[in-house]
Amino acid sequence: MKRTWSRRTAAISGATILLIAGAAAPGARRPRYGGTLVVEIGAAVNSTDATVPSGDAQEASAREQIDRLIFDHPSAEGRVASPGPFRMAEWEPGKRAVLAANEQYPGGRPFVDAIEIQMARTAKDRLIDLELGRADVAEIPVAEARRAAEQGVRVSQSQPDELIALVFVDGRPPAANRRMREAVADSIDRDTIVNFILQKEGEPAGGLLPGWSSGTAFLFPTAPDPARAKELWSQIPHSPSLALGYDSDDPLAEAIAERIAVNARDAGISMTAQSTRNAQTEGRVDGRIVRLPMTSSAPQPALASFLALLHRIAGLDPGGALPDSAVPQQIYEQESAVVHGLAVVPIAWVPHTFGLGPRVRDWTAPGPGQGWPLADVWLDDTGPEPPKGSS
Amino acid sequence: MTFRSKVFWIFTIALVLSVALIATGVTIVAGKALDDSNAHYTDALVAQFEREFARRGQDIARRVQGIANAEGTVRMAIDLARPSADPSVYVDDARGVALSYHLDILDFVGNDGTIISSAEYRARFGYKMEWIRKLGQAKEIDWVAQGPFLTRIDTQAGPVVSLLAVSTVRVGDKNLYIVGGERLGREFLASLVPPEGMRALLYLNLDQNFQPADLVDESGPIDRAERFASFVRQERSHAVEQTFKIDWTSDPKTAEVFHTLPLFGRQSELLGILLVGSSQREIVILERRIEVLALAAVMVGIGIALLLSWWGAARVTRPIQKLAEGARAVSEGNWNTRVDVRGGGEVGQLARAFNQMTEQLVDQRERLVQAERVAAWREVARRLAHELKNPLFPLQTTVENLRRARQQNPEQFDEVFRESTGILLSEIENLKVIVARFSDFAKMPQPELGSVNLNEIVRTVVKLFEAQFGAVGRPPITPELHLDENLPVIQADQTLLHRAIENLVLNAMDAMPAGGVLMLRTSHHNGSVKLEVSDTGTGLTPEESGRLFTPYHTTKQHGTGLGLAIVQSVVSDHGGRVSVESETGVGTSVQVELPARPPHQPPAGRDGE
Repeated sequence: MKRTWSRRTAAISGATILLIAGAAAPGARRPRYGGTLVVEIGAAVNSTDATVPSGDAQEASAREQIDRLIFDHPSAEGRVASPGPFRMAEWEPGKRAVLAANEQYPGGRPFVDAIEIQMARTAKDRLIDLELGRADVAEIPVAEARRAAEQGVRVSQSQPDELIALVFVDGRPPAANRRMREAVADSIDRDTIVNFILQKEGEPAGGLLPGWSSGTAFLFPTAPDPARAKELWSQIPHSPSLALGYDSDDPLAEAIAERIAVNARDAGISMTAQSTRNAQTEGRVDGRIVRLPMTSSAPQPALASFLALLHRIAGLDPGGALPDSAVPQQIYEQESAVVHGLAVVPIAWVPHTFGLGPRVRDWTAPGPGQGWPLADVWLDDTGPEPPKGSS
Repeated sequence: MTFRSKVFWIFTIALVLSVALIATGVTIVAGKALDDSNAHYTDALVAQFEREFARRGQDIARRVQGIANAEGTVRMAIDLARPSADPSVYVDDARGVALSYHLDILDFVGNDGTIISSAEYRARFGYKMEWIRKLGQAKEIDWVAQGPFLTRIDTQAGPVVSLLAVSTVRVGDKNLYIVGGERLGREFLASLVPPEGMRALLYLNLDQNFQPADLVDESGPIDRAERFASFVRQERSHAVEQTFKIDWTSDPKTAEVFHTLPLFGRQSELLGILLVGSSQREIVILERRIEVLALAAVMVGIGIALLLSWWGAARVTRPIQKLAEGARAVSEGNWNTRVDVRGGGEVGQLARAFNQMTEQLVDQRERLVQAERVAAWREVARRLAHELKNPLFPLQTTVENLRRARQQNPEQFDEVFRESTGILLSEIENLKVIVARFSDFAKMPQPELGSVNLNEIVRTVVKLFEAQFGAVGRPPITPELHLDENLPVIQADQTLLHRAIENLVLNAMDAMPAGGVLMLRTSHHNGSVKLEVSDTGTGLTPEESGRLFTPYHTTKQHGTGLGLAIVQSVVSDHGGRVSVESETGVGTSVQVELPARPPHQPPAGRDGE
């Protein structure tokens, strides 16, 4: 089991994580039972019923996490009747949920007696609550990780397992003009986006799969070429003014969209960043900033899930499905075909970042497709954890 | 138009023009005063804007300097001065600091001009702020001395015009520039407090073409901004203060007068235009009040002018009128007329002269009447003597013959007596005829009016004298009748007219002893009829023509001098007129004009004279 403790600004490699986990083991305290773990999330989950459609991706993700705490998911086919480590004790739709420990859980009773989930908490509130000890676990924006760490919040990060990409909208001018798409792609300065907006908590993305998963990410260039972008754009007769949409509830997407617009304008491309708050605005944007979460650490299913998502979002042809036994060459070729089609322009991979309260012990950042490991977490009310090799 | 009317209107026009001129003058002067007042308010608002502008600039400079002096900024400067500086950690700092210092614009700019953090355009990090770097390299600018300035700056929402100040934090040989400021826009205008009826607009010169959305007041873009397009273009061409007026509707109260103040940047580029608008509502209302008052004054003035003119005209013309009435009375024969005019002016002198003149006229007329009366009596005496002398001489001779025959030839006395008594009776008869003629003239009867056709009378008279026109032993006279057959019937005494025309024909025949043409012509005009009797006789001298109608005056050896006097008497009794035109050797023409109806009956009593 990987365990990441991070208060550094740089991304932590898998090797470092293993080193930290090994170093921590000798001095670790013994787990104890009891206490209520307070988890704060940004989404407002209005129903745990899977048949009720989610309001947005954020709610869907949060509902899935709660679902994983209540039910076991031995297969990917969906929910089964097997109860999970917790059971729903209190439920206030969109506000609060209390999950009590399942004493009869076959995998063993969770360490904590209960998990209180506070919903619809803003990132700022979550950070404050973490600093004040009102929350034990909270997902925090990746761009705030460094600042949170500087404020004394324990930060845990997953592998960069979420792809932020620009997807051109089917039916709009860039979708039908490769030169237009190429000019936009060449104008994007990914390094600056990662360094400044993501505060170095991520990686520039040239391909769909991160390097730690596929090992071929370095084959996709990420450096901008504004001169070429300018030249390409100048070759487009009656070049339109482009609108780049972003989810108004996603500050990171907004910041990245605005930066891409600045890069584009620097290359002579007329582009504005625009919030897609309603369907009317949605229909006017030429491209959108999307988040594509990995569902698996393995490259083949991860790529397949990306392609499925892109097919749903942008009508991208997913191509033929690769077999489970597909070799890296095949995976690379399929990924490369998609990337060179420029219907989707990868921007960056970002990790999931969690803030942890001082009494939380044995937290492990979940990997792609995994749920929060709250059944393994215990609360240490005896005092702060002794310093580790990495803090 | 009477003299009084003329004087009245002259007075009235002069007074009305005077009042109107005064009212117009007052209106113009009041309008000018209002315009001056408006200009004063405009200047005050412009001055207020400039003061607010300067105050804001100083305030911004103070706040930017405060940021530069803050510990966090100094630490940032020290951190960025390190060789391995990581500016990314400061990428979001500007936004928070800007909020703390209430600045719209805040940029932390590195020594090379790279934007480290931007509050107004977060995504601009890493790009260059060229003007800072260029100025910095060319010369170490003392930004404190430079002071606040206007400039165009890009923001997330697009370019804006901002009032900026720059401060620097120097660490070693590297500068950290802090660029802070406020947007120039409606918030800035909201800080101005224009007087009632005035407003301040701001046009931000951010586009090559006029953009209505860039013209704002304190509440945002204004309506119908396109009305300013031409003035903004003019301002951009000349960049000088100008004043213009916009009529928003046909109602002049909705008009506004705008004064422009160009706003320049550091490079003297036009960045904005302040437009100070002044509603014309109060001015128009005031002007209308003044106009109404002026109109009322004019109306009252006209009323007073009319009264004064009437009084003045009456005062001036009353003596003239009296003089005119006096002259008219004199012309009508009332020679005793006197004009009562007081005063010593020209009119008074004229009145006195008039009175003196009438007195003299009366005096002279009386003397003339007396002289004419004496002359008439002399003429009557002469005529009587003449008329009586002719029969008296045969009477004297006959009586002397009788006496002589009685003394010298008694035997023949009976025969002589018989012859003499016959002569005596004949001459006495002549005397009776003469007396009867005079008596007849004295006893001219009153006309008895009836419907009369003048043409018929003329024909009857001519027929009466036909035998004499061609009598044996005398040269023939040829009558010519030119009678107007459309002659209207008039009211007249047929007998008297017959007698008058007989006299005229007789006179004409007497005037043609050698024969000639007797022409009788009738005509009508304006309801009156006219008879002209002309002859081709010897004519009359002017002296004879002047005395032609004098009773008992005659140019004939055996005439009584009563013929034309009778004609004149008849014509006068009918309200008509008789005149004579004569030329010696050519002939004489007598014109008689008679009205259709006599205006009044002649006075009675002639019969008794």
